[in-house]
Amino acid sequence: MSFISENIYCRGWSEEKFFCMASRQRVGETGLSGSGPSNQHMPYAVLQGIGHPATNLINQQGPAFDFGELEEAIVLQGIKLGDDAKKAFFTARPAATLEMFPSWPMRFQQTSRGSSKSGEESSDSGSGLNTDAQLEPESPISNKAPPDQALDQRQLQVEMASDDTFRTRLTPNQQANPLEKRKGAPSSTSEKVLDAKTLRRLAQNREAARKSRLRKKAYVQQLESSRIKLSQLEQDLQRARSQGLLLGVGGSSGGNISSGAALFDMEYGRWLEDEQRHMSELRTGLQAHLSDGELRLIVDRYLSHYDEIFHLKGVTVKSDVFHLITGMWNTPAERCFLWMGGFRPSELIKILMAELDAFTEQQLIGICSLKQSSQQAEEALSQGLEQLHHSLSDTIASDPLSSLGGDGIITNNNNHVADYMGQMALALAKLSNLEGFVRQADNLRQQTLHQIRRILTVRQAARSFLAIGEYYDRLRALSTLWATRPRENMIGDDSSYQTTTELQMVQTTQSHFSNY
Amino acid sequence: MHYQMGSWGSYMSSRSVSDPLERVERLASENAVVIFSISSCCMCHAIKRLFCGMGVNPTVHELDEDPRGKEMEKALMRLLGTSSAVPVVFIGGKLVGSMDRVMASHINGTLVPLLKDAGALWL
Repeated sequence: MSFISENIYCRGWSEEKFFCMASRQRVGETGLSGSGPSNQHMPYAVLQGIGHPATNLINQQGPAFDFGELEEAIVLQGIKLGDDAKKAFFTARPAATLEMFPSWPMRFQQTSRGSSKSGEESSDSGSGLNTDAQLEPESPISNKAPPDQALDQRQLQVEMASDDTFRTRLTPNQQANPLEKRKGAPSSTSEKVLDAKTLRRLAQNREAARKSRLRKKAYVQQLESSRIKLSQLEQDLQRARSQGLLLGVGGSSGGNISSGAALFDMEYGRWLEDEQRHMSELRTGLQAHLSDGELRLIVDRYLSHYDEIFHLKGVTVKSDVFHLITGMWNTPAERCFLWMGGFRPSELIKILMAELDAFTEQQLIGICSLKQSSQQAEEALSQGLEQLHHSLSDTIASDPLSSLGGDGIITNNNNHVADYMGQMALALAKLSNLEGFVRQADNLRQQTLHQIRRILTVRQAARSFLAIGEYYDRLRALSTLWATRPRENMIGDDSSYQTTTELQMVQTTQSHFSNY
Repeated sequence: MHYQMGSWGSYMSSRSVSDPLERVERLASENAVVIFSISSCCMCHAIKRLFCGMGVNPTVHELDEDPRGKEMEKALMRLLGTSSAVPVVFIGGKLVGSMDRVMASHINGTLVPLLKDAGALWL
């Protein structure tokens, strides 16, 4: 007695054990006299196994069932009964099946899903689907994944072939079955039944194909959203890095951050989180059409939120002015627009003008004069800084002849060193003026924000501040998108796909900010 | 803000104009816009550019070029209460302040009327 079939059927189907058991029991109950019902059990259990593509029946160990014996007994019975019995056996099955498993259609579907999935994954999936020795009527079910089936049948055939008993009895059937299943041609035996079954099989195949298309679509959509999530994560990671939280992991500034800078970065990170909170407060406040009084509170809170960062910068200017002036605490896109350690005050006015149309004449005058004064102040500070640059470079630029005597011979070494020291001291003093400029620039930024608040009504101010917040948010998002843009294959068909996905990502980001 | 020069003057035994603060005030009231500066100071350069950019022609006193400049610088430091005396701006004889005050008043729109009142600006 070969236990091969038992292994094929039962290994790894731990979840189906109970079912197999039940089947076995039922078979036991009904005895082996009825080849119909008993036969139904086995393939059903097999079909359950199909629903678990991860299962590799060939390799896994499992408790041995006596399915092999059962099968053998049934086959023997069938053969004893002769051809007529066989016909009866075959024809009887559908009816018997229907009786025994009223919920079959559902299972049917599950199996179809499972098998078509495994069919998709690899044509070589070894989910030992061995419906088959006798299992013609089960063939429509098992045929949900034709490649699977064919392969498994071949496997079964190979294994069965090793057993003489089976070979002689079963291979003819098996050989007939694959042919039928593959070609869909009616067999010599039970023509009528097979025709109907073929049709049903084809319908089920269509169904399975449709389902697999839907699954593929869902999977692709999942991939797209994961991609967006990934870019978000990268942005957070970059932010965390620049804040010095991951100093040891190669931060954006190479890990050599001064304590003042690290402290600022951490505080700035918190400030950014607060910023998001304030912005959503403004947004909901505007959408909810709150009263002016309530909105005023929100707006004033937003202003003091900005006052906080200016105060923080004022403290950091003393400890590490270069950190502020090089803008390493900003994202790359923000850094492009960096002016004296921060945003340009005149930029705020530009954002303002882009967003709001409903200004009174007085407000327009106020905004225009603010535009002018901020531009003039910016210009003055820029020129002052330029003066500083020139002065500093003049101080550092060493005159090669200064340490030489008139005759071109280098005189006292000490003098040279003293000159150098003096030069450096002077340069240091001039460099300290940098602090003053960053301070004045921040002062200008703060004053401009407060003046905007003064000129506009509460509601207008709320919308303006929201617009300003969103502008810089978008700039930060731009940095992330830029960092995560695909760079490899920008030629051929790939480029259009990548552009499309980038556009999709940008559009998704934009949808957050629009409609206010 | 009009500081009290009189009391200072009477307190000091010497009534010479060499009293630095008094001198500062005197110089400040001579012109519509007076800036006390140091030639090498870049912030002073910025403030000069600001007024010139507005079309104002300020009177600039370089303290490093004045023999009594050092004293005046110290006096201004005491007056302002800061460690840097310059730049400091007087408009119409009245003290406006240092760079940050000037910028703040320009942004909030009070600088231009002040200049107009002092006759430094006509448009």
